[in-house]
Parts: sequence; C-alpha cells; structure tokens
Amino acid sequence: MMEEIYIGIDVGSVSTNIVAINETKEVVFSQYIRTGGQPLESVKYGIKQLEQAIGDKMVVKGVGTTGSGRQLSGILVGADVIKNEITAHATATLSTVPDVCTIFEIGGQDSKLILLKDQIVIDFAMNTVCAAGTGSFLDHQAERLGIPIEKFGEMALQAKKDVRIAGRCTVFAESDMIAKQQFGFSKADIIKGLCEALVRNFINNLGRGKKLEPPFVFQGGVAANRGIKAAFEKEIGHPIIILPHFNVMGAIGAAILALEYIMDTGKTTKFRGFNMMEHNFSPSTFNCTGCSNCCEIIQVELDDKVIAMWGDRCGKWTNSISS
Amino acid sequence: MIVSFPHMGSPVPYKKIFECLGHDVIVPPVPSQRTIDMGVKYSPEFACFPFKVLLGTYMEAIELGAKVIISSGGHGPCRAGFYSEVQQRILQQLNMSVEFIIFDSPNHGGYQDFWHNLIRLKGKSSWFHFMRSVNLVYHMIHILDQLERQLEIKRAYEVVPGTCSKTWEKIQEDFSNLVNVSKDLKAIENLSKERIEKINVEVPGEDEKIRIGIVGEIYVVMEKNVNMKLEEKLGALGVEVERSQYLSHWVDYNMIPKWIKHSHEEAILKKGEKYIEINIGGHAKQTVGHIVDYKERGFDGIIHLMPFACLPELVSQSIIPRISQELDIPVISFSIDEQTGLANNLTRIEAFVDLIRNKKRRLIYNKCVAGL
Repeated sequence: MMEEIYIGIDVGSVSTNIVAINETKEVVFSQYIRTGGQPLESVKYGIKQLEQAIGDKMVVKGVGTTGSGRQLSGILVGADVIKNEITAHATATLSTVPDVCTIFEIGGQDSKLILLKDQIVIDFAMNTVCAAGTGSFLDHQAERLGIPIEKFGEMALQAKKDVRIAGRCTVFAESDMIAKQQFGFSKADIIKGLCEALVRNFINNLGRGKKLEPPFVFQGGVAANRGIKAAFEKEIGHPIIILPHFNVMGAIGAAILALEYIMDTGKTTKFRGFNMMEHNFSPSTFNCTGCSNCCEIIQVELDDKVIAMWGDRCGKWTNSISS
Repeated sequence: MIVSFPHMGSPVPYKKIFECLGHDVIVPPVPSQRTIDMGVKYSPEFACFPFKVLLGTYMEAIELGAKVIISSGGHGPCRAGFYSEVQQRILQQLNMSVEFIIFDSPNHGGYQDFWHNLIRLKGKSSWFHFMRSVNLVYHMIHILDQLERQLEIKRAYEVVPGTCSKTWEKIQEDFSNLVNVSKDLKAIENLSKERIEKINVEVPGEDEKIRIGIVGEIYVVMEKNVNMKLEEKLGALGVEVERSQYLSHWVDYNMIPKWIKHSHEEAILKKGEKYIEINIGGHAKQTVGHIVDYKERGFDGIIHLMPFACLPELVSQSIIPRISQELDIPVISFSIDEQTGLANNLTRIEAFVDLIRNKKRRLIYNKCVAGL
C-alpha cells in the first residue's frame, strides 16, 4: 500500500525548505535549498526532488506552505493551508517538545522569539527594522573574516579570551571588530565575540524584558552554529535543545498544520500534482486604475489562464476568480 | 480662500466645513507612494513619518492650486507642535509658499490664536451662518464615526470580501454630496444605516468572536493609507476592530472648551494614569489609557501603532509589556515608516490573531472542563 504523506513548504528569504511527513508526523523527506532570489524555481526544484526520491511509493494527502513566500508558493503547488511562520514553528516544536516554553528561531533575514505556556503561543516577537540579530549578520562578518560560515561555530568554541563587540548595529559591529583585530585578538576570539553580540542583540531586541523560561529550543538555519548555541547558553544560563530537523522546522510545522486540517475537515487535497512543474507559471503585477486607491494587483497565471489575483482593496479582482 | 487640508480618516467633514464657509476646497489625493516619496525627499531624515506624509500631501495640494493649508498642531513635548513651522519653511525654500492656519487646542492655552484662526476661517460668512455650519459638521462627524464603527464590526463577518469598505465609500459620498443643511443629516444617516443593514454577513457564536483595539499615535491610527489598511486586514481575518482615535473624540477633546462638554477622552486618560502620570506629549497617555479601557470592555487583544522613532510612543511601548502582563491581554506594537514590504508585518498580524484565537479557545475549553 502507498504511504500517505503531507508536504510542508517554507519559503524564506535565504532558504526554501521542503519536507514530507507521514501520518504519525515522522519526517520521511527533507530538503534545504538556497532560495537565491528565485522562490518559485526553488519550490519547483524541491518538489521535483521529492518526487524523484519517494514519488512512486507515496501519495500526497495534503500540502501546507509558510514563510514570507507562502502566498505565491501556496498557489503554485495548490496548498490546503497557508500559515504564518510563527504558528508553523510553534506547531512543529510542540509536536516533539510538548512542554516547550521558549523558542529561539534565527533564520537568514529574520529572527523570532516565541513564548508558550500550556502548549499555546502566549507571546512572540520578530525583528522588525534591522537585520543585526540574524543570520545575514553572521554571513556578512564571516565573509569579512574570510571564514566559511560552516566553520564559524567550531572556531568560536576554540576561543580563549573574551572579546566584547557591539552588536546593536552591523555597522558598529564591523568597526568594533576591525578595532579588536588591530588590538591583536585571534580570529577565534573575535568570532566568539560576534556570536555573543548576536545573542545579546536577539535577547535585547526581541526579549525586551519578557520572562524567558525553560525548556528552551533553538531552531532555524543559524542553530547549526555551535558558537551561537554556546553563546545562548551562556547568556541565559541554561542548556538549550536543538532538534534533529532544526533547519526545516517551519516546513514541518506547515506539514503538520496541513495534516491536522485534512484530518479535521476530511477534505481532499488541492495539491496540483507533481507534474505541475512542467506548467508555465507566471506572476505579474499591475496598477488598477478603477479608483483613486490605485491598488497594486498581483496576478498569477498558469498556462496563460489567470488562477489567482490579490492586492485589491475593493475585491473587484480577487472576487473575479472563480475557484 | 482656496484651502486644502491633510488627510486623516474620512476627508468629508473637513471638506464640508470649508465649503459651507464659502471657501474653494481642494481635496488632496489620498497618501500614495508618490506622496510619501515627495515628503521623504524634502523632509529632514530624522523627522517622524507623519511629518513626511503631511509634507508630501501639502505639496500635492499646492500642485492642485491650494493657497491656504489648514491643519492641526500638537501640544505637549511632541515634535509635531513645531512641524507646521518647519514645513512652512521647507515649502518656502521650494518656492511653494502657502499660508498656514494651524489649530491648536484652546484647552491647552492659546485662546487668542484659536480665536484669530476662527475669524480667518469664518471669512465673509455671518456669525449665524458660521455657527450653523459648525453645528452641521459637528453632528456629521459624530454620525460618520458611529457608522464607521458599525462597519468595523461587520467587516469581520462580511460574506463578500470588500463589501463593507465599498459601503463606507458610498456613505462618505452621500454625506459629501447630499448633506447641505442640518435637516439633511437624519435622512442620509438612515439611508446609510439601510446600506449597512443590507450587507450580507455570517456572524459566528459569541465565543468565536475576536475583538481587537487599535491604539497609538493619532495619524497612523486614523489614516488607513499609511497604516497598511490595518482595519481591513484584520477584518479579512475575521476580527472586529475599534480604534482609539476617532475624529469626534479628537474634536470633543481638543476643540470644545471644557466648560461646555466633558469629553470621553478625559475618562480614558484617567485610566492610564497608573502607568503614565504626566503628559509626555503625543498620544502616549491615551495609548495606555485605551489599553486599560479595552481590557475592561472585554477586548481580546491590542495592536499598538507608532510612527518609527516617535518619542511619546516609544515611552508607551516600553511600558506595554508590564501592562500586558498585569492585565493579561496580548499587545503587539508596529512601527510605521516608509517601508512598503509588508511580509514581516502581515506575518506578525496573522500570528497575533492566531495567538488570540487559540488563547480564547483554550479559555473556553478550560471553562467547559471546569463546568463538567
């Protein structure tokens, strides 16, 4: 018998993650793809990989999308559930660590702090105006130091001295870092300083006086960085859990939400099927001139047939699509 | 006089009062990307977002031929009090000189200026006509706000998305075109109520309803074209909305001398005094007062809007976590600036509504279990 799976897709600024879970919420496939500014292509590529890996043994029962590109990718694949990242991340973590109270999530361009109590989200924060507390900050500094980002965490652990680097702003951090280099600190020391700066920034910016309680779970692409994990543990004085699928938790959450939705409603999936990759899928925008609002309308075409429109305030275009 | 004014909520009352007094009125275009671009280009970088949008709006009004700009001032230690002066100078430097008439609240000193402004506004009209016009618009403001509040609730449950917003446009048109004297008001009010009555809705059970109050700085709370059309977004997510700022409240609080009428605003300010005792400018005191008020009235959550780097609201923002904890009500803050990428904000809005919904369901579930 074919196994039934649920697909979760998390389209972020830096990576596009695709997972498939079975009915017992076990991950049977997972893939982490660099988005590289082409979210749709990444999704198509990921789905293709999924099909090649397990397409002949499994049948797709539901699809969920999340991440900043959730809307468009949801239409592309025919998602049953389109959810924000906060809910998706919390759902995924809760399924493995049911008593989790604090989730740190650091991705490429955003970071999130999610607080839970009795298995529901009671508060959350996201970085808003600045990327100083995110993966791109580290990426940038790693490049500056000429160290591959993958080695960054290991090096931080080799540090012997404490170096304090200003973490509030990337620009300050950079000049601070150069100054410390000129003082003669080793690369490892400086990297450790950077990790601590990022964590301080995260706690100050997102924590903002909120009470953080254990168990703590750390996820997102940056959780691969052991230096950051160590810095977190030092800052909050408590061990931190990193789950096996830490870098695709958003996608797992989307898959679980899709599973729950399908189970609850008994509906059949809207998934367009694996062969959708061959179709020509093109989004475009135009400005409606119907009134003074001049809304920017996003229009999505599949093989020259308009399948979705949104962005209008009056509903003139949104409602013109019969689904 | 050829007068114009900035947008803040419905432009109909502003337009009406100036028309009644015999002025030529130029309604500037609603704040758009172009407005913001122009405002940002000629504003000091550190000025707050409302300053920039207003400057852009004035420039667009002047392009259309406005000679006099009528606006309101600020009071207390908020930069907005100086803004019209600075804007006037910027416009002078751009060879776009216009006359400004700035209404500061007479309740905070400055009766003379207020009086002087009124006389200029009155123009050639008789005092009798002036009072009659003021009376008409005063009542119109109150009626419009009442109608808008009905729509803010209904929007959460509309069957065809966008119906409430369209109805609101129609209602404003009616008031703009069909109301000329006080006795027209009743008929148009009834017509509007019928329009609202006709909107198809599917209202869920009381337990499923979610109510969110929007608090914060007046301009970003009231002007939907700069606040991501927050009310419509929340409506689409099935949330009933109420704002902390309505024009009628502002008028009652700022333009009506205290010895005539005690405004609703004063009671609100009292409620927040536990958290912010003194007037620190802007709407910080109102913000905390309204949070307390919404909690008392059984709202499920609060969205706090502030212009990026707005000092009074930064103060209220840092007190909010404590209020949120003490009152057990979720609060989320948004800084509004010229950024147009909304993905981050939309995610936060959606997650916030999820949070409230789950919290409420859990509460009801616990009650049921306890009841068994």
